[in-house]
Amino acid sequence: MSRKSPLLFCCGLLVARVAGAQSVDAQALVERSDATRNGWPSYGVRVRISNYEAGKQDEEHLYQVSQKGTEKTHVEFLSPREKGQYLLMLGDDMWMYLPDTSRPVRITPLERLSGNASNGDVARTHYALDYEATYLRAEKVEETNCHVVELKAKRKGSTYQRIEYWLRVEDARPVKAEFYLTSGKHIKSETFDEFQKVNGRTLVRRTTIYDCIRKSSRSVMEYSGFAPREFPDKLFHQGRADRF
Amino acid sequence: MSFFAPALAVLLLGLPGEPPDEQAAAEKAIQTRESFSVTDEGSSVAGLRAPGSDWGNLLLLQSSFACKWKDRWRFSSSLAAFTKTQDETHAQVRWREMYVGLSAGELDLTIGKRLQRWGTGYAFTATGILDPPRTAADPTDRLSLNEGREMIQADWIHSSHAFNLVWGSAGLLERHRPGMRETVAFRYNTLISGFDAAAIVAYDRGGPAFAGANFTRVLGQAVEVHSELAWREGAAVLLGGKYTHSSGVTIIAELYTPPNTAYYRPTGMPPSVGRQHYAYVRTSKSRLRELPGWKEWDVALSLVANLDDRSHIAVCDAGRRLGNHLYAHAHAEAPAGKRSASQYGMIPYSALISVGVRLQM
Repeated sequence: MSRKSPLLFCCGLLVARVAGAQSVDAQALVERSDATRNGWPSYGVRVRISNYEAGKQDEEHLYQVSQKGTEKTHVEFLSPREKGQYLLMLGDDMWMYLPDTSRPVRITPLERLSGNASNGDVARTHYALDYEATYLRAEKVEETNCHVVELKAKRKGSTYQRIEYWLRVEDARPVKAEFYLTSGKHIKSETFDEFQKVNGRTLVRRTTIYDCIRKSSRSVMEYSGFAPREFPDKLFHQGRADRF
Repeated sequence: MSFFAPALAVLLLGLPGEPPDEQAAAEKAIQTRESFSVTDEGSSVAGLRAPGSDWGNLLLLQSSFACKWKDRWRFSSSLAAFTKTQDETHAQVRWREMYVGLSAGELDLTIGKRLQRWGTGYAFTATGILDPPRTAADPTDRLSLNEGREMIQADWIHSSHAFNLVWGSAGLLERHRPGMRETVAFRYNTLISGFDAAAIVAYDRGGPAFAGANFTRVLGQAVEVHSELAWREGAAVLLGGKYTHSSGVTIIAELYTPPNTAYYRPTGMPPSVGRQHYAYVRTSKSRLRELPGWKEWDVALSLVANLDDRSHIAVCDAGRRLGNHLYAHAHAEAPAGKRSASQYGMIPYSALISVGVRLQM
């Protein structure tokens, strides 16, 4: 082998790696992974969030999510302390319906963020629409081969500014995610722990969100009752007083 | 107190543990929602300038029930029963809402007593023609005691357009604003380029006609602006905005100027004082999760000022979640101004503190 051979070999590897990365369509990967949380164009799902502090459960929230297309989401709050509250998202526009005020209150994207798992984590599940995806690298998470993609917010309704997203090479199923603020601060991590088969579709069953600011806090999100449903357009009109 | 025991028993026995799974519910003809709460709140006033006790207690029992049959028929009711002790004990039951509705495609018909809010303001409203009276010092009706109006309503919603036609009875309005009659009101509400905008016209039998418009708009990640403009014998204007800092602190500010006419005039204000100007500021933070030990706390400070007579009222609210069902709260008010001739100075105490706890099922 000539003296140039190792150099050529390294260049070859680099070219192959870059070519490999370019051949992965990051946006298509994210679209595929979105299907694990959005099984049908129009569907209902129940989400239970259990918050843990220092390993001990301290509160629980229950939501009924109604999704129509990619732009219309209606979230009904069902846990005792929040009963009668609703969150409506129409694209980038959001309203909170509070029983005390008997009317929808317009909210800003920043108001939506609260707790380990935010309303955005429940209601904003089409990452391919909300974020611009860029392929970063291939990486192993434990024994699973993953693609790592970077997601950057492309609309004001996006819940996070930046996400690093690990997707299983085999089927683009999400494995874990890290969420960042505009400042670059890493605020949350999420692991996708369990999946379920519903009408032949693989859908998420359980995820865990770890608070990176309060290290002792985590939230477990459990999805149940995924089902295709037809919803009338009027359910998603911001001016409709009757939300149930 | 005698009516509380059976009501409590019926409500508790009738409460299911958790709403049924939506997949199963979708297949069921009837879906229901119910809630129940008991609140006990003690209050104490300082510097009382009227005869009576300077402490009081409120025991409040609230229940709501809604059911839907085949996404077509709806029934909804909300009840508040309370005993108020201050020198003497008085009991009262209020049906806050009770109505039935029929959905036929894009058309909804409703008949019954219903809370309706068309105004977009937080502390004030110029266009809330059917709204319950709004108190700037308690704009969210923190104890949920407001009552609706008896009405017949037709709503037609097509795409992003909503048309509402309402006939409201004089019953409740007469109690709050003597001299008013039935109201017929029409609203058109739509969402255009992020503007949630509405135009409203109304006519009170025997009273002057009303026309108004309002909007809300979110700008960027943190700012919301809203405004209301109405005409009824004179122009009423509201300008407001909300800013949310990345730390979660939210500031709401509003400027409001109503004409001093019978419809807009607050109780106790003489007609001779002319147009009034108000300012409102509220700073709040829900969930102080960044501070160790304060994760479950909500706090809010607000100030309402009458800029003409230079009186104001400062309000402080704090609450703490205790598990999944309990919420403890404290509310304090401190009015200030000329005692004989100002809106908030005339409030007959110099400070009020209320402390309570709510059990919610």
